Amino acid sequence: MHTRVICRMPMTVHVEFFGIPRLRAGIAATQCQGTSLGEVLQELAERFPGLANDCFQGNRLRDAFAANLNGNRFVSDPATPLTRQDHLLIMSADAGG
Amino acid sequence: MPPSDLNGYHGAYLRVDVSTGQAERVPLPEKVLRAFLGGVGLGAWIVLQEGAAKADPLSTEAPLAFVFSPLVGSPLTTSAKFAVVGKSPLTQRFNDSLASSQFALAGKRCGVDALVLVGQAESPSILLIDEDEIRLEPAEDLWGETIPTAEKRLRKVWGLAYQFAVIGPAGERQVRFATISHDGRHAGRGGHGAVLGSKRLKAVAVRGAQRCTWAYPQELAQFAKELSAKSWGPATAKYRELGTMANLLVFNRLQALPTRNFQRSQFAEAVELSPEHLSATRQKTRDSCAACTIGCEHIYALKEDDSPGVRLEYENVFALGPLCGVSDPQTVLECSRICDELGLDTISAGGTIAFAMECAERGWLDIPWLRFGNAEALPRALQSMVTNDELGQLLRQGSRRMAGMIGHDSIDFAPQVKGLEIPGYEPRALQSMALGFAVGSRGADHNRSGAYEADFSEKVDRLNLRPEDVSHAVESENRAAILDSLILCKFLRGTLSDFYAESAEMLRLVTGWEIGPAELQETARRIVNVKKRFNMDAGWETGEDSLPARFFEDQLPGVAHSSFTPDRFRELVQAYYAERGWRKDGRLTEDQALAISMAESCNP
Repeated sequence: MHTRVICRMPMTVHVEFFGIPRLRAGIAATQCQGTSLGEVLQELAERFPGLANDCFQGNRLRDAFAANLNGNRFVSDPATPLTRQDHLLIMSADAGG
Repeated sequence: MPPSDLNGYHGAYLRVDVSTGQAERVPLPEKVLRAFLGGVGLGAWIVLQEGAAKADPLSTEAPLAFVFSPLVGSPLTTSAKFAVVGKSPLTQRFNDSLASSQFALAGKRCGVDALVLVGQAESPSILLIDEDEIRLEPAEDLWGETIPTAEKRLRKVWGLAYQFAVIGPAGERQVRFATISHDGRHAGRGGHGAVLGSKRLKAVAVRGAQRCTWAYPQELAQFAKELSAKSWGPATAKYRELGTMANLLVFNRLQALPTRNFQRSQFAEAVELSPEHLSATRQKTRDSCAACTIGCEHIYALKEDDSPGVRLEYENVFALGPLCGVSDPQTVLECSRICDELGLDTISAGGTIAFAMECAERGWLDIPWLRFGNAEALPRALQSMVTNDELGQLLRQGSRRMAGMIGHDSIDFAPQVKGLEIPGYEPRALQSMALGFAVGSRGADHNRSGAYEADFSEKVDRLNLRPEDVSHAVESENRAAILDSLILCKFLRGTLSDFYAESAEMLRLVTGWEIGPAELQETARRIVNVKKRFNMDAGWETGEDSLPARFFEDQLPGVAHSSFTPDRFRELVQAYYAERGWRKDGRLTEDQALAISMAESCNP
C-alpha cells in the first residue's frame, strides 16, 4: 500500500491593509508566503512589528481587528487554509459609522 | 425644587408649555426609572404618556422631550449625552436622536431628568431654563441665522454658563429632516429640528447647579478610571486615529458602499474621499465631546485660510459623496458645512438628493443640472431646501413623500425605510443590517441596530442571511437600547468584555440598585417594546417592516447572489418577530403590553 503525501507548498498571498492596520504597517498592500492564515500573520508580524504589536496576539488578530478572504468571508482560525492568489484583507473589526 | 432621595436621578421631569410659559414638575416614580433607565428608554415612556404617538408631530400639542440619564454628570467616560425623543415628522413614527456634551450636563443640573416641551410660542423665541426660573425671550433677530452664528450670538448675550440646543434655517422652515444642534453636534435623525421649529423655538437654553448624588462614589471613581484606561486601547483606535471615515475604503472593498442611490455598491473614486487621502492633503485637528476620552471627531480644514474646519464622519461623506456620485473632497466638505449650518441631517439630505438625481436622470424631474456626479448640483440642492423654490419644496419632504409627489414607480427606489433615509450600509451586501433597517422602530437606522457587526464577522454569511441568524440583529438592538438609555457612546462598546454585567455595575454604582445582567437584559427588551408600543399607537402596520422594492428586484453589479426575494426577506422578519416573542403580525403580545402598562400605572 502506498501512502500519498501531499506537501503544502508556500504560495503567494496578497495582503491588503485598511484603517489602523494600514497605519501600523505603513503601506496599503503587500505579498506574503504562507499556506494558512496563521503563517501569513506570522510573516507579517516579523516584517511589521508595529502592526503586530497593536493588532496581533500571537498568530491571531486581536478582537478589535478582523480578517476577510477575497472580500467574501471573514476568517479568524489560524489554521484557515489559504490558496494561491488569495487576497487577505486586514481591517478594524468595528464597522460603526 | 425638593431634593430627590434617589441616586443618579432627580425623580421628575419638567413639562413646559411654550404657548403660555407655564411649567410643571412631573414626578417620575423610581419604578419607572428602573424600568426605562433614562435617555431613549425613559424618553419613549414619557412621550407615550404625553400622547405623542397620536399627535401630529408638527402640531401645537405634540410633545418633544430632551432626556438625560442616570450616568450624566458621573465620571464615566462618554456619559455626557442627551436624547431628544418624540414623533418624527419624517416617518410619523417613534423617533429618538442623541447628541452630546455640555447641554446634557447643564440640563440635568436644572434638577430634572427630562424637559418636555409642548405648545407653540407666539413668535420666534428662546426658552431659558435656569433651574426654577423658566421664561421665553424673543428671538426674532436670530430667526433665519445659521446654527453657528446663532450659537455665537446666544453665548454673547446670555453668557457661557448657559448651554444651548439650537435649530438652523432648516428647523425654522420645518424641513422634515432638520436637526437640533449643540456645540456643533447634532441630534440628527428624524427631524426633531422641525418639531422645535414648529414650536417657534430657535433655541433651548439650560443652566443649573443641582447635582445628583451617587450611591458608591469612591467605587464609581475607580470604575470610571479603569474604563477610561480601556477606552485608550485598540478597541477605539479606529475612532481616535481615523474616525468613522475609516469605513469608507473597507466598505468599498467589500462592495457594501452605497453609490448612486444604491444602484451600485462600489465607488471608483472612493480613495479621494478617504481619511488617508484627506489627512495627507489637508490640515486636520481632533476634538471630543465633554467627558469623553476617545476623541473621535476629526475636523478637516475647508480651505487654505482661516475658515473653521468641518467635522467629517463616514455617514456624511458617504451620503454627500458616493451616494450622489460626487468625488470632489472640497464639495463634500463644503456640503457637510452647509448641512451643519442649516441644520440638515446629512444622511437624509444626501439620500433625498440622490433619489432626486435618479428621478431627474429618468426624466421624471425636469431639472437638467441635477445629475449624479455633478459637484455643483449638491450645494445648490442643499441650499434650495431652505428656500421657497420648487425643488426645495420637494426635497425637504424627504424621499418617501417626494416619491408620492413624483409618482411613476419612484417609491420602489426611494432610499428609505418607514420614511427614514438609509445610512451607508448596502442592504444586499450586509443582510443582517438589512434586517435591522427593516424592523427598526425609527426606520433605516444604523445606531439603534448595529446588526452590521454580525455581517463583519464569521457569525453569518452576509450575502445569504438565514432565519436562524436573526438573533444577532435582536441582540444588537438590545445592547443599543441599553447604551442609548444609560446613555453611553457606542464607540465604547468594544471595551466592555461583559456588556450586561459591566453596564449593570455602572448603574449599580450610580443608583445603588442591586441590579444584575439578567434584569438589564429584560430592561433592554422592555425598551425595545415600548418603542414598538409607540409605533403601534401611531398606526404601525406589518408591511412597514420591509425594504424598498429595488433591493429585491435589482442585483448588485459585480456581487453574486446578492439579491433578496420578498418571500425570503419576510421569513427573516418573521424569525425576528419570533425571537422577540412578538405576535406573528409583529405586534406585542398582551403580556408584553402589560409589562409596559404596569410601569404606566405608576404615572401620577
